[in-house]
Amino acid sequence: MQWNNKDLEQYIDEKVIEYVDTLLIPLMPISLKNDKNLIKRAFQAELLSIFGNELERQFKGRMFLMPIYHYLSTADKQLEVTRLNEWVEDALTNPFKHVLFLTLDSDWKKVEAQLQGEVLWFPSMQSGDLQSDETKGMVKDQISQLTDLIKTYW
Amino acid sequence: MSEKRNQVSRRQFLNYTLTGVGGFMAAGMLAPMVRFAIDPVLKTSAQSDMVAVADLSEISDEPTRIDWTIDQVDGWYESEVPKSAWVYKDENDDIIALSPVCKHLGCFVNWQGDESHPDQFYCPCHDGRYYKSGVNVPNTPPEEPLDEFEVRIDGQTLYLGQTKPHREA
Ligand code: FES
Repeated sequence: MQWNNKDLEQYIDEKVIEYVDTLLIPLMPISLKNDKNLIKRAFQAELLSIFGNELERQFKGRMFLMPIYHYLSTADKQLEVTRLNEWVEDALTNPFKHVLFLTLDSDWKKVEAQLQGEVLWFPSMQSGDLQSDETKGMVKDQISQLTDLIKTYW
Repeated sequence: MSEKRNQVSRRQFLNYTLTGVGGFMAAGMLAPMVRFAIDPVLKTSAQSDMVAVADLSEISDEPTRIDWTIDQVDGWYESEVPKSAWVYKDENDDIIALSPVCKHLGCFVNWQGDESHPDQFYCPCHDGRYYKSGVNVPNTPPEEPLDEFEVRIDGQTLYLGQTKPHREA
């Protein structure tokens, strides 16, 4: 399910809601600083969208994909943890069973224990051509690994 | 779908804001999101809605997953939409192309996705199951068979079109 009109109309049906028990929140760092990482951040943002959308496509009936959560890459992670835990609490009362964070930012691994959801961190290419067959192949592989991983939480 | 759109407009917004550096962000925004799963070789369409998706030599009596894209225009956006099918030859050598979208709530089903039911399609979301024919296994969540794609064969090339309800639905 996605955060849009059409999916939500289906979602609000009581018979449907009980089946959608997993919330996926993509976490994406943003910084407008024009440094050597600028292009990399944009590239990874595109990748993260691809992963989120593709996972949602495969698990539409059980997984709700949240709009992407953005934060400044320089932000204090402790503050972000506090905010994200509020999200998790809200999700758990409404009434999701699993909250998964999808990210390419390894900083989240360091604070994973404090987060009340699971961190699905995966390493990715730093940059590249999303159109190339090589990149597509790698993305496809990673998605199938992620789908397997997600199934282990169920 | 509209998540994708939101991101596009978010990026467009950034693009306008960041004059000078925004060009990088705009580059290839929409297309890569949906095109990545697909072999670009397979994109030519011979006739209106039918798309060449595979060579017949790739198809056996074991269901194989085929991925491709179609262009879709819906109101505001024109985009490439990823499509997938499970394709195999049945006992009569007819090509069967089933939609992978579970008729319960729309997850992707996998051929032999559950070890205890090796000759069935399995939906990981709520344990829905389908026989190889695409007909739903009674007492699992789905209440209808998987949809089928329109199939056409031209020489050695397999074309798939729209989905329609299963022949036994
Ligand atoms: S979506 Fe397939 S069993 Fe529920």
